Amino acid sequence: MRNFKKTLALLSSLAMAGTMLAGCGGGGDTATTTAAGGDSADTTAAAGGDAAAETTAAAEGGDSAAAADEGKVFNIYAWNEEFKGFFEKYYTVPEGITVNWIINPSDGGVYQEKLDEALLAQADAAADDKIDMFLAEADYIKKYTNTDATLDVTSIGVQKADTMYQYTIDAASDANGVMKGVSFQCCPAAVIYRRSIAKDVLGTDDPAAVQDAISDWSKFESVAATAKEKGYYMTASYAETYRTWSNNATEAWVDANNNLVVPQAMKDYIAQAKNFMDKGYTLSAGVWDDEKTAQMFADGKTFCFFGPAWYYNFCMGNAQDPEKGCSGDWAICEGPQAYFWGGTWLLGATGTDNPTMLADIMNTFTVNEDVCTKLVKDEMQFSNNTKVNEAVAADPNYGNAFLGNQNDTALFCELAKNIKFENKTQYDQLLNENITTVFVDYFKGTISEEEAYANFYKFVSEKYPAVTVPAQ
Amino acid sequence: MSNNKRKSISYAKWGYIFIAPFFIVFIFCSLIPLVSTFYNSFFENYRDGLTQVGPNFVGLENYKKLFTPDNTGNIQVIDYTVNTMIMWFMGAVPQLVVALLLAIFFTANRLNIKGQAFFKTVIYMPNLIMASAFSMLFFTLFSNVGPINQIISSMTGEVYDFFGQTVSVRSLVAFVNFLMWFGNTTILLMAGIMGIDGSLFEAASIDGATSTQVLFKITLPLLMPIIVYVAITALIGGLQMFDVPQILTAGHGNPNRTSMTLVMYLNNYISTSKNFGMGGAISAIMFIITGALSFVVYKSLVTDDSPKKKVKKTRGAELL
Amino acid sequence: MSTATDIQGQNERIKLTAARTGVYIFMILVAILCLFPFYLLIINASRSNAELQAGFTMIPSTNFVTNLKTAWNDTSLIAIPKGLMNSFVIAASCCLLCTYFSALTAYGIHVYDFKGKKIAFNFIMVVMMIPTQVSAVGFIQLVSKVGLMNTYWPLIIPSIASPAVFFYMKQNIESTMPLEIIEAARVDGANEFFTFNAIALPMLKPAMAVQMIFAFVSSWNNFFTPALIISKKEKSTVPIMLALLRSEMNSRNGDLGEIYMFILLSIIPVVLVYILLSKFIIKGVTMGGVKG
Repeated sequence: MRNFKKTLALLSSLAMAGTMLAGCGGGGDTATTTAAGGDSADTTAAAGGDAAAETTAAAEGGDSAAAADEGKVFNIYAWNEEFKGFFEKYYTVPEGITVNWIINPSDGGVYQEKLDEALLAQADAAADDKIDMFLAEADYIKKYTNTDATLDVTSIGVQKADTMYQYTIDAASDANGVMKGVSFQCCPAAVIYRRSIAKDVLGTDDPAAVQDAISDWSKFESVAATAKEKGYYMTASYAETYRTWSNNATEAWVDANNNLVVPQAMKDYIAQAKNFMDKGYTLSAGVWDDEKTAQMFADGKTFCFFGPAWYYNFCMGNAQDPEKGCSGDWAICEGPQAYFWGGTWLLGATGTDNPTMLADIMNTFTVNEDVCTKLVKDEMQFSNNTKVNEAVAADPNYGNAFLGNQNDTALFCELAKNIKFENKTQYDQLLNENITTVFVDYFKGTISEEEAYANFYKFVSEKYPAVTVPAQ
Repeated sequence: MSNNKRKSISYAKWGYIFIAPFFIVFIFCSLIPLVSTFYNSFFENYRDGLTQVGPNFVGLENYKKLFTPDNTGNIQVIDYTVNTMIMWFMGAVPQLVVALLLAIFFTANRLNIKGQAFFKTVIYMPNLIMASAFSMLFFTLFSNVGPINQIISSMTGEVYDFFGQTVSVRSLVAFVNFLMWFGNTTILLMAGIMGIDGSLFEAASIDGATSTQVLFKITLPLLMPIIVYVAITALIGGLQMFDVPQILTAGHGNPNRTSMTLVMYLNNYISTSKNFGMGGAISAIMFIITGALSFVVYKSLVTDDSPKKKVKKTRGAELL
Repeated sequence: MSTATDIQGQNERIKLTAARTGVYIFMILVAILCLFPFYLLIINASRSNAELQAGFTMIPSTNFVTNLKTAWNDTSLIAIPKGLMNSFVIAASCCLLCTYFSALTAYGIHVYDFKGKKIAFNFIMVVMMIPTQVSAVGFIQLVSKVGLMNTYWPLIIPSIASPAVFFYMKQNIESTMPLEIIEAARVDGANEFFTFNAIALPMLKPAMAVQMIFAFVSSWNNFFTPALIISKKEKSTVPIMLALLRSEMNSRNGDLGEIYMFILLSIIPVVLVYILLSKFIIKGVTMGGVKG
């Protein structure tokens, strides 16, 4: 018994000690990244008495970019550290201003959940708690740009520069063309193929010749047939070509009366995926499955993968593996249609108390050529600045070793001109992410096409009550 | 007599005092949210992007929607209840049997198992891994290029698509749940057995009872309250099954929604659009189903001859 | 007569040995099954991101220390010891409050006769049947209204009303604590709290230990409610940190090896608490008082 009490006492005293450490008392100070830079690793110190520190910093802040009457805390909502990394390297925070990152995981929709709550409470929030800027992805950007929660950023001095790619502007603009934010990157995507397999199947690995062979979908299928005869797969996932189809859809998922209408492009994709699965042209893996990534090794049997620059630079680790990979045995070409995949936009929140700094950040990552050049050269990004990208593209010494020294920036400069951001709705994220995973049962032959459509309609009606689906 | 009466009157006060903290916290943290949940089920109340729709009173419309059969004549909410019950049953039966066996082994003096501390720690450990991490592991383990399929394909030359077949998906879900929870059940039962008065076992062995007799005449009857507890909480936990099938099937209950559970269905409604109307209606239905099933379980396990009386009876017999 | 007993005894012994062997084989199989996920975790924690993406192996690789360093020094999270401490504070508080008040409530309902006792009991049973996902939404709105977002109070206080733990305590008291003992032990006029703390609680020791373990573990692994209440980085709990790491998988910073290492690290404290508390699930304590 004495032992039990001891253990209890130990547990409770530890809990109490920890309570003090963790500042559970409800005071709730924020660990913040101060203007002085650095990271919030020293959280305990910050939680202690940063109120005093802040005042001092504010007093010192004299001739900064921030207007004197603007807020002292800049709040940014994000779902991971990617942009924060660039921000801390390339943006100098005006003296006296504290940048506060509120990072929530995208898992389980937590990020949008928190962001939405904060945006809806924005009007009543204290000036220093108001969101100043938040990040959004292409699939759900419409949810924010088409509302009053986002701000016309041109009114606070953000440039709608000629050097930006038009689709990045379209994505960040509302129905009336009012620009609500900018993107610091551009994500044109292409077909990434294996040179050795292309030689075997087509007799050439030259990007221009390969492009010629797969320049439309029917040519793409006939190459797939040849590849199959030679013992290869054309693609490694039933969802591989999805983004190409969906980016080029001529109708939106949801019409003006909020009815779900499956666009012809998506129907074509479904037919193609079923056909490819039945004929054995593709593996039955999802886009992110191990079964697919295993195909990126030297002993993989897959002709090509679809993706943007970030895909092969950051997601094709297997191909870049020093032992089992095949770096250098790859090349890129446009493929059947131009498209984009991914990208992060910075949006201005209505009610911001730091408009000067907000505009300054947006301009830094889009029109500041110095910063954009560093993004391209040091961070392997394709920047949202045509001038900078083209300068790198024109560099005769530049080549990507992974692609057998092909100049990928030059190709992306061409591709980026053809990207469209059209027929998008605020519902796209879940529809795009889930149509392939709902239809996989049909592709595998477990259920009929009607049943797959019915399951998809069920899913949509559960997720989006505002959207009318055909009766199932 | 009058002395006694006064005593019980003065003690009644303590009953209220002792249960007060529970009820005060409960009212604020559970009751208010709960009442609003049921209340919401009579309203149209959701979010369309950043726009709030409703709440507009719609009567029983949400319930009507839930019970409208689809084109194939199936009522979804019933299908998902059945899915949930099947997967629960597949996992809960082995869970109870294995846990009961282990609890008896651990507590049997005659067996005198060595290394008990090790085994007791080990069986509980799967429960320490978060369900999401557990499911992640099993997904890679049984994927088409996973080690299980490497073994299968080296023997048969074919890959078995574990996530494409109803039977295998349901079995995997049941198995993960079994593995995560049987240690928990074992500990509960073990603690229950240990709580039984040791003198009863002594008396039984002096009277020459066999171990089977001891098990069925002493251990199991006296363990009944704990078995009732285990059965009912397992049932409630089972009906709320969510993480494992959600992660293993990416939220779709593939194939063809046959591993979709009630809470996955509920989650589809409330996670994106905050559809508290439909969410409230599903919750109310779940509540009724759980209540009815718990009642059945309770009634079938708790006989008129209540355990408390049995304790006294046995003790009486012992005294004789 | 004596030989007959001998033979009988011998038979008994052979039977017992056979039973024991069977039991050991069964338990070893179960133990292997239970340890297998941990084996996988350790293997995966020793592999690099590229190796992990390449698929599966049963042999450990060489990146264990590298992954440990990456996880330990990851500046996108708060320091790991700090995160573990945050989770520990919440879990330990929950487990103490939840078991103490559940036992108190169960004792109150079992021992005292008062009006509405039956209703109170049934009421709690009904509460047990509500899915947490359902009332969570209303709960968050309430927390936000009273201004307790980003504090640990809304994660700790509700554990005082844990219907399932109450039910267990009630069942346990019913089967192990006859009223006579309480009455016998009760010194006339003594404070009832004293009776509960000094007499009843010790008898409930194994039950308390069991539920403390469960409460600690479920609080430790809870992602759902904390994720909705905590958004300040320095207050993150372990599951929130894990979700953030998984969020990083969508960008170039993602590292699967680090994720597995983090899962491994996050399990260690719970294992320790379990070993510490499981010592108290021992035999024969409960009835000690009756015999005397």
